[in-house]
Amino acid sequence: MSSGKGTRVAAAALAGMLALSACGGGTAQDSGPASLRVTVWSANEAHLKLFNEIADEYRQNNPDVTAITFDPLPFENYTTTLTTQIAGGNAPDLAWVFESSAPDFVASGALVPLDETLKKTEGYEYDDLSPATLKLWQHDGQLYAYPFSTSPFGVFVNTDLLKRAGQKTPAELIDAGQWTWETVFAAAGATQAATGKAGLVIRDFDYKGWDYLSTYWTGWGAEAWSEDGKTCGFASPEMVEAMTTLHRAIFTGKALPGPGTTADFFAGDAAMTVTQISRASLLEDDGFAWDLVPLPVGPKGPYAVVGQAGIGVLKSSPHAEAAADFLAFLTNPTNSAKLAQFFPPPRQSQLTAQTLAKTNPKLKPEQLQRVVIDGIASGVVKPSHTGQAEISQQVRAGLDPLWTPNANVRGVLDDVCAKIQPLLAK
Amino acid sequence: MTRTDTRVGPATARPTLGRRRPYWTGRRRDQLTGYLFIAPQLVGSAVFVILPLALVVWYSLHEWNVLAGTFTFVGADNYATLADDPNLGSVLRATGLFSVGLVVLNLALALLLAVLLNQKLRGTTLFRTLFFSPVVVSLVAWTIVWGFLLQDNGGINGLLDTIGVAGPNWLRGEGTAMFSVVVVQVFKNVGLNMVLFLAALQAVPGELYEAAEVDGASRMRQFWRITVPLISPTILLTSIITVVGSLQVFAQIAVLTQGGPGTSTTVLVYYLYQQAFQFHHFGYGATLSIVLFGIVLALTVLQWQLRKRWVFHES
Amino acid sequence: MSRDLSPRTKLVLYGVLLVLSVPFVFPTWWMVTSSLKPVSEIFSFPPQLLPLNPRFGAYQRVFDLQPFGQQYVNSLYIALLVTVGTLAVSALAGYAFARIRFRGQNVLFLVVLAGLLIPSEVTIVPLFQMFFKLGLIDTHWPLILVPILGAPSVLATFIMRQFFLGLPGELEEAARVDGLGRFATFWKIALPLSRPALGAVAIFTFLHSWNLYLEPIVFLSSPEKFTLPQALTQFVDAYGGPMWDVQLAAASMTALPVLVVFVIAQKQFVEGLAHTGLKG
Repeated sequence: MSSGKGTRVAAAALAGMLALSACGGGTAQDSGPASLRVTVWSANEAHLKLFNEIADEYRQNNPDVTAITFDPLPFENYTTTLTTQIAGGNAPDLAWVFESSAPDFVASGALVPLDETLKKTEGYEYDDLSPATLKLWQHDGQLYAYPFSTSPFGVFVNTDLLKRAGQKTPAELIDAGQWTWETVFAAAGATQAATGKAGLVIRDFDYKGWDYLSTYWTGWGAEAWSEDGKTCGFASPEMVEAMTTLHRAIFTGKALPGPGTTADFFAGDAAMTVTQISRASLLEDDGFAWDLVPLPVGPKGPYAVVGQAGIGVLKSSPHAEAAADFLAFLTNPTNSAKLAQFFPPPRQSQLTAQTLAKTNPKLKPEQLQRVVIDGIASGVVKPSHTGQAEISQQVRAGLDPLWTPNANVRGVLDDVCAKIQPLLAK
Repeated sequence: MTRTDTRVGPATARPTLGRRRPYWTGRRRDQLTGYLFIAPQLVGSAVFVILPLALVVWYSLHEWNVLAGTFTFVGADNYATLADDPNLGSVLRATGLFSVGLVVLNLALALLLAVLLNQKLRGTTLFRTLFFSPVVVSLVAWTIVWGFLLQDNGGINGLLDTIGVAGPNWLRGEGTAMFSVVVVQVFKNVGLNMVLFLAALQAVPGELYEAAEVDGASRMRQFWRITVPLISPTILLTSIITVVGSLQVFAQIAVLTQGGPGTSTTVLVYYLYQQAFQFHHFGYGATLSIVLFGIVLALTVLQWQLRKRWVFHES
Repeated sequence: MSRDLSPRTKLVLYGVLLVLSVPFVFPTWWMVTSSLKPVSEIFSFPPQLLPLNPRFGAYQRVFDLQPFGQQYVNSLYIALLVTVGTLAVSALAGYAFARIRFRGQNVLFLVVLAGLLIPSEVTIVPLFQMFFKLGLIDTHWPLILVPILGAPSVLATFIMRQFFLGLPGELEEAARVDGLGRFATFWKIALPLSRPALGAVAIFTFLHSWNLYLEPIVFLSSPEKFTLPQALTQFVDAYGGPMWDVQLAAASMTALPVLVVFVIAQKQFVEGLAHTGLKG
């Protein structure tokens, strides 16, 4: 063992030094047989099965591509692991990208522009892609990642619980034109008082994931930062008004469970929850009666918010061309329709209640139309920015003082802006 | 590993020259054996510790954006950033609080448990196992369960409620969040230190206590005058392990508080993880690594020096 | 040894021990029992101490969703190899640092100690680069070599050194007078005496390897090469949400065997340590 160790050690030492010179990352293209690796954050069996079926079909027509593997990285550590792999010189050929890191990936030049490859692919119907869904993934007029999933936010409602508390159902409120945040907070608070269960839960917010609050404040016309990303929006009058109302709803109206209190809607612990429609699968068949409705109307009228995920080709891949070609196949109309059962597609022709109903058996056509199709057409994407992680961390820390009963809303929001303005201006 | 046998030494030695003393004196032979014995560890350290550390120092002199693939030499810029970093004060404070809290609570509880289990009682084996069991449970599972228990409407406050106490919002309060994180970590790992203490306690000769009893010394006095000095080497060992471990803890913070509320639980490792892996500032992350390394080094040297003062029987 | 206690004191002690054991036992209890509950029951308030209708479906699904048996074997063989390797490396080095005088000893000891001071988050990127250049990514080599030779083994060497320092030297002197070489003295005299310290090191090392989390995630990418802590992260539903019952079932299966081994080995382990004492 000891002599073998010696050479290994020497080799490792040498390798460490070599690694440094390789950091710049060459983009040498290799036209020989390619083996492609895709990093994804879903380890779900059904997802991987579908991906592999599509990949197998692709390989039959493209013998040059010897293998396509899908590497599931853990969701919580996804970006960390991906960056470690890139830093170590072992970048994947294709990667899923969270919407929150979209600007980082798109603007950094880490990804290959896709327009040309997609447009020239036979039968691709590039113009079918809804422009609203592409915006986040474009930079200087080029598309750097394909938004394979565009998932609108809606409100799931436990109608059993609302009825038990003697409240009107959202369907009734919508018909009466009263589906507003004001009535939602009132109903949530009343349900909490009557049943002891939570009223309304903004899922995944948990007083940390503040970007989920955009599903709320957009109704006030507020935004985290300006369109160009340069100016902080937290101190704007709209935001102050929205947050003051929210603060009152939490601490006075008890419409939302307070910080550090978890209530799972899908386990029947809350009357309403704001989340993405994909979570419908968490509803059990023999559970409570439920409904899915659009986000309530805010003072500025009706609105929609969507979350997105993209898939892009890494520039450092030695087989970038083959990878882009596979991406075009993976997202062509036929395969996009297959993927639609898990991920709402960006293709307008596939965004019909009929197509979506086939793959989302738990949702009724009018639910799909109101929440999904209308939502994708008009939806505002959750806030994202270059250097999102750092900004997000500052906002999270800055908003913490807001989540106490006697907080000075205006003062806290001013502080948030003071903290992030330098980062936004960068 | 038999090749490290010292008898290889004389076999390879050249014949002695004339009347001069043989080259392979016992002392030289011993030296060679010493080097051979430590060789695997030393080479391993060079390759897997020193070299990576050197690379980290090298990175700290660069601006490295992994996504853009840029790696630019910036000299001491990252260190200048460090000096101006408005977060550094609170990060160091949180790190200090966490480490001190963890070490004090961990050692005190470990010693208490060990003393309790060292009594002549039936069933101590069972309790020993119970107290040790968290050590083998997956850290992530352990932390998630505690996160659940520490919620405002969680099990702990439910329990407090039954005795008429309104518990605080553990993970959301500025003061209680740090305390909670420390306690969760203490319960997870105190079993290891407890076992080491227990072993040390069982090695204390019973006659010493009998003699003290005859002299009329109280139990407390016996504990401080006999037990503590005799197990002081173990206290040193456990405190070094615990201090070093406390400065490297981060998964718990990621799961329980994500550094909040505010930045009250953002300890150094968590901060450097954020900078390097979340904010993509690898160069600055490397700089923070150097700071962390320096702190751990200083503390260890300090503890090592202190041992001369209070460790009872150092060879 | 402690003295006999009055029945009243005993009763008080039992009370204290029982109360103290609650925070240690409850989370594990919750983990194991929750793996037998449907998801909606897991997070219900107040927590159910026992599942209403225990069901073992989650345990079956653990094996359906991942090559869990293979992953178990991976974790086990890696941990065993690392333990044996670490024992060899650290016993040799610890003995030399404690017993043999050689030039530069103290400096070299400090160099080695540096490994004790470095969190794995600090060196993971350079280590990844090195192993990538060697073509050892997605193999078990990094998970075996680094713990045996790198930072994690330093603690083991430190413990072994402290132990050998406290061992009475007379036996070894006698052996050397009888003409035994250094290695033979180490192998035949010192090593058998150090069984308790080796036991402590073995437990530390095994647990460290068994629970390793960051490194496998970074180094491994094929499910059939995964280790257990990494496998635990893979049980997720279609939208990235954890499948709690399955995760908890897998976590229970990961923890229980180690606990059983500890229960069997602990008496020897603790008393063995006590007989010779771990001297500073």
